[in-house]
Amino acid sequence: MPENTTEQELKDRLSLIENMIAQGRRDTESWGWTFILWGVVYYLALTWSASGHSAWAWPVTMLIAVIVTVVVASLKAGRHPETTLGRAIGSIWIALGISMFLLFLSLGVAGRLTDQHLFAAVVSAILGMANGASGLMLRWKVQLACALVWWTAAVASCFGTDKESMIVFLVAIFLGQIVFGIYGMIAGARARRQQDRAHA
Amino acid sequence: MPDLPELNPVVHGRLRLALLSLLSGVEEAEFTWLRAKTAATDGNLGAQLLKLEEAGYVSVEKKFVLRKPQTLYRITEAGRRALADYVEALKQLLGVAVDAKSVPRHRPS
Repeated sequence: MPENTTEQELKDRLSLIENMIAQGRRDTESWGWTFILWGVVYYLALTWSASGHSAWAWPVTMLIAVIVTVVVASLKAGRHPETTLGRAIGSIWIALGISMFLLFLSLGVAGRLTDQHLFAAVVSAILGMANGASGLMLRWKVQLACALVWWTAAVASCFGTDKESMIVFLVAIFLGQIVFGIYGMIAGARARRQQDRAHA
Repeated sequence: MPDLPELNPVVHGRLRLALLSLLSGVEEAEFTWLRAKTAATDGNLGAQLLKLEEAGYVSVEKKFVLRKPQTLYRITEAGRRALADYVEALKQLLGVAVDAKSVPRHRPS
């Protein structure tokens, strides 16, 4: 044991270890708000498109959500420097956003966004892919469960009536975006509390 | 009295301990990310990372991404084991300290 190491110093070392490990993991836990934001935006877009202006509902709401996400994320970026893993996962979600924006903007403007089953199935499959890839990279079972919800919704959307398909999609949004986002925010807040206790 | 465990001097340095702990929570990290998390100067950070590298506790990969140099650090299996052993030794030492405190100095009459 190095000389002059006091009990307080030993405790400080343990706190330092806990604090630093939490810092590394927090980067993946601070994105809960985006899931909630996008879940709310999906509900807004669905409500808007159901009111009769379906051509612009998705492109406009998606564009607003993208702008809010980019602005808030860039403000947080200074506090959460990237790792390669973080950048890889971020790339998946950026690519997903671009794909969905281009696809649904084009379909909406062309007036071909008419098959509700197909729409719900495609959105669910894309979200299942992104959550699945992220969950596998992070080895995060909760996000893999989230992907399973979306894949189930993608399959279920292909069957049943319009109403049943819509209910499946709404439930998937609630579980895969809102509930998962709240879970992510709670996990992030818990990690921050642990860090604060370590600093105290 | 039980034998007190030795604290690994390479791991014990405050900045080196912070670096090993940070790297244990991520798969790999850039120099700039480690600098931001530890608030260390470039020179000090580089020197401590070099010591960890020489001890075989971290591995380094230097590459160019979009013509910009990027230095990536990863904790090695030996580094992970050294950190785990260090934590175990800390807990043992603290346990001994707490036990010593909990023994009453004067037996109540």
